[in-house]
Amino acid sequence: MHRLSVMVNGVRHEQDVPSHRTLFQLLREDLDLAGTKDACRQGVCGSCTVLVDGVPMRSCLALAVRCQGKHVTTVEGLETGGKIAPLQQAFIDEGAVQCGYCTPGMLIMATALLDANPAPTEGEVRAALIGNLCRCTGYAPIVRAVLAAAKNRHPPSAPSSSRAP
Amino acid sequence: MSLPRFDYHAPKTIGEAVALRQQFGDDALVMAGGLTAMILLRERLVSPRVVLSLSDVAALRRIDANGGLTIGAMVTHSEVARSEAVASLAPLLREACGHVGSPAIRNMGTLGGNISHADSASDPAPALLALNAEAVIAGPGGERRVPLDQFFRGTLTTAINGDELLAALFVPRSAAGTHSRFMKFTATSAEAFATVTVAMSIVCDGANVCTEARIGLGSVAPTPLRARAAEDLLRGRKLTRESIAAAAAAAAACTDPSSNGQGSAEYRREMTGVWVRRLLGDIAGL
Repeated sequence: MHRLSVMVNGVRHEQDVPSHRTLFQLLREDLDLAGTKDACRQGVCGSCTVLVDGVPMRSCLALAVRCQGKHVTTVEGLETGGKIAPLQQAFIDEGAVQCGYCTPGMLIMATALLDANPAPTEGEVRAALIGNLCRCTGYAPIVRAVLAAAKNRHPPSAPSSSRAP
Repeated sequence: MSLPRFDYHAPKTIGEAVALRQQFGDDALVMAGGLTAMILLRERLVSPRVVLSLSDVAALRRIDANGGLTIGAMVTHSEVARSEAVASLAPLLREACGHVGSPAIRNMGTLGGNISHADSASDPAPALLALNAEAVIAGPGGERRVPLDQFFRGTLTTAINGDELLAALFVPRSAAGTHSRFMKFTATSAEAFATVTVAMSIVCDGANVCTEARIGLGSVAPTPLRARAAEDLLRGRKLTRESIAAAAAAAAACTDPSSNGQGSAEYRREMTGVWVRRLLGDIAGL
């Protein structure tokens, strides 16, 4: 057993984990964060993607013990103060969510993209999402949503009452 | 989804890691980025008593640019692709690492893990072969170097012994007048395995006379390989349509491809020749 201390969506979490537990299992089974999905189990489909210290990674291929002291962000962590992120709203507005299974992974990758590159070209959006498979939408509305969110991106707003603690 | 049970060790130094390799031998699975190791574990293709993680060995995460480029085994493909030192000293490797999988895969996968796994479809391997790279291997006796064209011994088999670890890849300085090209030719989508990968590093002067030629090929043999017969036809000669065609044919002839979802053996052999010809033609301006 390893004593693991990890930040998940801004909240510190401590528990004993066996060596073989994956980050994916920790998030879904120990923390009830069911937004992160599991499909291919090989790192190909992207539905398990989360941010670790802001960097997109495949949680299904990550051991929980390797996240010691790190900051993990899942799709549940994209909202602030109970409000969904503008990127999430853009997905809704553009019809980029059908079955919803690929959506958390897409949102995580797009969040990382827009943090690093606030004004991506369509080619850059497609390149960023190349490791996230969608069987429903044909990708076009997803790409449109990311571009729309980039275009409408607002800087963090001032009033402290709307900030998460 | 569950993995088999194992003990997890995360040494802090290369010396500790080598000592664990000696202690556990084949009972330990070395884990670099984890992409290959986790799939081997999940599919029960291996059942090690121990996972030996290199994640905490800081010395393996460095990129040094003194007298050539030394890239630590735990440097990720993303870090290689972003590195200014790599961009200036080995742009061919920067391009190759940028083609691995997809962004999240590149963030986790490491250059050392990729090369020591020795998949013939590795994206960086042909580039490193074309760059005349060396494998820096750490063991109980210290460090030794193996030229990369002697490192790949067979299908998924390398020169690393059971008590050793790949510590770094060393890329010597390129000569002035070096032209490099990289093509990962995929039959389906960009993040798929390649049908053939061609990487070349050609030194020629303004009159297109070639003084050095190194061509690395991926996915067309049990290991990544150098197209030596093609190189021999280019060295010391002027690049012309005829000499390029001959070199391309020689490159295709040195392949030993298998047939799979990325293409038949005949198609891969043919495409090897096509892409060697096109890339050489591009360098020569023909």
